[in-house]
Amino acid sequence: MIATLLYEFRMQIRKRSVWIVPALTLVLFVLIGGSLLRDLFDPAERPPEARLAVVGLAVQIHALLSIGFGCLLADRLVRDDRLRVAPILDATPASPGARLVGKYLGAGAATAVPIAVAFFGFATAYAGSSGSWSALPWALAVFGAVMVPGLLFVAAFALTVPLIMPAPLFRVLFVGYWLWGNVVTPDLMPTLSRTVLNPLGGYPMAALFDFAGIDGDDQWAGPFPGATLNFLRPEPTPLIAWLSIALLLVLAAAALTGGHLARLAERTRS
Amino acid sequence: MLGPPIAVAVGVLAAVANPVPSDTNTARVLIGALEMALPLTAGVACASLVGRDPAVEIQLAVPTPYRETLLRRTVVTLGWAALVAALTAAVLIATGWWARWPDNHGVIAGQLTWAAPTLALGGLGLAAAAVSRSPGAAGALVTTVWAIQQFFAGLAQQHLPGRMLYLFATTRGADPADWTANRLTLIAVAVALVALALVVLGRSERLISEDDE
Repeated sequence: MIATLLYEFRMQIRKRSVWIVPALTLVLFVLIGGSLLRDLFDPAERPPEARLAVVGLAVQIHALLSIGFGCLLADRLVRDDRLRVAPILDATPASPGARLVGKYLGAGAATAVPIAVAFFGFATAYAGSSGSWSALPWALAVFGAVMVPGLLFVAAFALTVPLIMPAPLFRVLFVGYWLWGNVVTPDLMPTLSRTVLNPLGGYPMAALFDFAGIDGDDQWAGPFPGATLNFLRPEPTPLIAWLSIALLLVLAAAALTGGHLARLAERTRS
Repeated sequence: MLGPPIAVAVGVLAAVANPVPSDTNTARVLIGALEMALPLTAGVACASLVGRDPAVEIQLAVPTPYRETLLRRTVVTLGWAALVAALTAAVLIATGWWARWPDNHGVIAGQLTWAAPTLALGGLGLAAAAVSRSPGAAGALVTTVWAIQQFFAGLAQQHLPGRMLYLFATTRGADPADWTANRLTLIAVAVALVALALVVLGRSERLISEDDE
């Protein structure tokens, strides 16, 4: 597994597209105007507290760069079959399960590196320009508790769902899901947004980081009056936040297990 | 092939599930499927046309230039999306749902609702695929551009380039006075991007070197 992880990591991190896609995303993000990436460096506009600034930055970077992250990972698993290298890899001593986990962690980590570089880069620049060096421990905490579980969740589905549908169709459905399940507010339509299954990390942000948006008027977790699926939106507490993180990781593990079993069944048939 | 019909089906489902009981809002969701979901599927499909040929060397050796092959694929991909969109629009017009959205811009010119963003995202997908030779990277770029405009619809309206390049000017809060200029700009951008793709694909040796798999 470790060997697979290392070569998948090296292979993925050397792909230019893994760096170009997040870079272009950030450029477009700044060009469209008004994003926190600019406001962080404007003393009149930036949030008053380092914690608010860093969690707000995490929301924007996570919400936007996860789309490219999922799309770039979508062909990693099916690629082995397409290039017909799967039988050769099967002949190695590494078990298929260990290779899948190695590919998941290796390719996922490499694709997440530019996201981490962007996030910590902006957080450090903000800390330097504002003198709020407490931003750095907050950045580490929010990266670990909010962004990493979300990215692990996305990576698991991005690797395995293209086993049952073409990768381009997955990319379309994924961005549709990402908008519907993260951004749409629950009073607009039935959505998984703001539930414990939200990969953007609404519960950890609300309960562990006391975050209610940059202006303090957003509701990231808890029941919405009149919304459907409110049974998935309990009152946010630290325990529920950790449960939400655990649920995302369990779902990621389930997706990987499902993908593993599907591949084994296909090999047995062929 | 599945993308455009699925996009329409998702739009109809969203209209049915819409908790706001108003004909105007339902019509907006239905036309929104043509303006938002369908162009996204066409754009990602065009982004997947380059870099998938298992024996591209043979493709490059046949008398038909490879870029012409790709142009034909693009025409088929966008033509299929256009067919699904036109049939859906015809159903919406016949059933009266088209007219229930106040900013529908008529039956004829109103077809630019789906045609302009479909061409723009299709052109972007093809150009990104031609430059990157990676369906993953090109697909990621198309979905990201689409998502940024969805996330920051209000901010896009605050400056002229944002208003002119906005993909969802019919159904998401754009000034109707800008609509025609916006649609024509998107089509012009699409033409420019396809031209860029054809220029890049003309250097066919790029396709067999430094494959970004």
